[in-house]
Amino acid sequence: MVVYSFFIFDRHCECIYIRQWLESTSTPAPAQPLSRPVTASSATTTATSTAEKPTSGNKLSMAEQAKLVFGVIFSLRNMVKKLCGPDDSFLCFRTGHYKLHYYETITSLRFVMLTDIRTENLKLSLHQIYVNLYVEYVVKNPLSPVEHAGGEGVNNEMFELGIDGFVRTIQ
Amino acid sequence: MVVYAVLILNKAGGLIYQRDFNPGLQKISANDYLIIAGTFHGVHAITSQISPTNDTGSSGLEVLESEHFVMRCFQTLTGIKFLIFAEPRQPNLDVVVRRVYELYADYVMKNPFYQIEMPIRSEGFDRHLAAYIKPQA
Amino acid sequence: MNRDPSPFRPTSTASTATSPTPKYANLTASTNIRYSLTRKSIYDRHLNRTKTSELSKSAFAFLFGEMVQYAQKKVYGVQDLEKKLNLHGYAVGQRFLELLLWRDGRTAKRETRILGILQFISHQMYRAIFQKQADTLEKVRENEDEYMISDNDPIVNTYISVPKEMSQLNCGAFIAGIIEAVLDGHCFPAKVTAHTAPNDMWPGRTVFLIKFEPEVLEREALRVGS
Repeated sequence: MVVYSFFIFDRHCECIYIRQWLESTSTPAPAQPLSRPVTASSATTTATSTAEKPTSGNKLSMAEQAKLVFGVIFSLRNMVKKLCGPDDSFLCFRTGHYKLHYYETITSLRFVMLTDIRTENLKLSLHQIYVNLYVEYVVKNPLSPVEHAGGEGVNNEMFELGIDGFVRTIQ
Repeated sequence: MVVYAVLILNKAGGLIYQRDFNPGLQKISANDYLIIAGTFHGVHAITSQISPTNDTGSSGLEVLESEHFVMRCFQTLTGIKFLIFAEPRQPNLDVVVRRVYELYADYVMKNPFYQIEMPIRSEGFDRHLAAYIKPQA
Repeated sequence: MNRDPSPFRPTSTASTATSPTPKYANLTASTNIRYSLTRKSIYDRHLNRTKTSELSKSAFAFLFGEMVQYAQKKVYGVQDLEKKLNLHGYAVGQRFLELLLWRDGRTAKRETRILGILQFISHQMYRAIFQKQADTLEKVRENEDEYMISDNDPIVNTYISVPKEMSQLNCGAFIAGIIEAVLDGHCFPAKVTAHTAPNDMWPGRTVFLIKFEPEVLEREALRVGS
């Protein structure tokens, strides 16, 4: 199984964390993650430029992609709720080339992971990321702010290492 | 086989057919269905844009899973979308969607009274679709 | 043939009325007949060659669908449309009867009795066109001059769903036209109409109602008397 990228959106619909793993087939150094996780406050020009750099192979910059991903999950979530009642939630979808997994917490934090299409549903894994990594390293971090405008606070070393390790275990 | 509903969207994202077969989805108004169809049309286009792989010509959304249903979307080469809503973990939805496409090609496209891209009001299509999806009834 | 709008008439009058300009002549000469490599047109082939060959049902459905749409463009109502389809069928029937009898060769026989001709239609003719017999052949009890041939699933209606506002329409009027032409060809002038008569098993069941002209019954009575 291949994990392509991982996003966290907060309750203000802002992308507070992006992580991308380069596709193993397209690069000679597969296991090496990106030098720094890219934060997605596209409002500042510096953030946009850093976001565009590592995605030379892709058509869209990561910040733009994050916006599209959010648009998709937001629409699909509403569509599912309309069709099946408010207690239903959408878990994942797949296209011919990738699969998108979705997990939403009670506090409207949204975790999104893009993998290859053979991967089973990752709802539990995303839940574990929330409980074991996000809560442990971000929420419990006394230095981290309550809101994470521009990814502030999420972007710490412990969380990052944790995500890396976690993705390696499920890969 | 429990199929909840079948929707058909024309190439502009307009809803041209909607029919419930088994209870499982909420009863919503025709207008809401039109909105859902339009939204889905847009989402489908975006999902092919955000493909993380470098393969060109990525297809849009094909399978959507939720807690209570699974949806199979099949887009024909002519741009018509067939959406099949079924109970979760329903196998062989590919076969179902193919067969629905076949029935569409037969009983809608070969009907001289059908105007292309317009809502489908074809009694023969209704009958054969019901016979295929709900053979016991 | 006591039919006023004979399908032959419009074409013949049209060709005599318009003096063929050179351009027109060129057009017909170049597009009318396709020659194969052996320089033989389809008219040079033996008539029995296509006797057992099969035809794509889809191709027929699309062609027939277009025909219905075309007919629909220039009519004022359901009855008018059925008449038009009937006329199309009539033209087919006239030609087909000739072919059918020719293929029968020496065993061909001209039917002279009402029952005989009706059986010819529901058996031989039906099998030659649709590869099956008509499902029933009955006499209408109330009327001496009316007979019914029924088809549980007419091939022309397989893919046709008539919209609600035209519920009276049955595109089987085309087959009715064929039957009418065959009857006319045997000198049994009659009016044939198609009616939808669904039952539980067959939602598309169609009944062809045949109403003979009075002189046919007169002749039949004379024959019985002799």
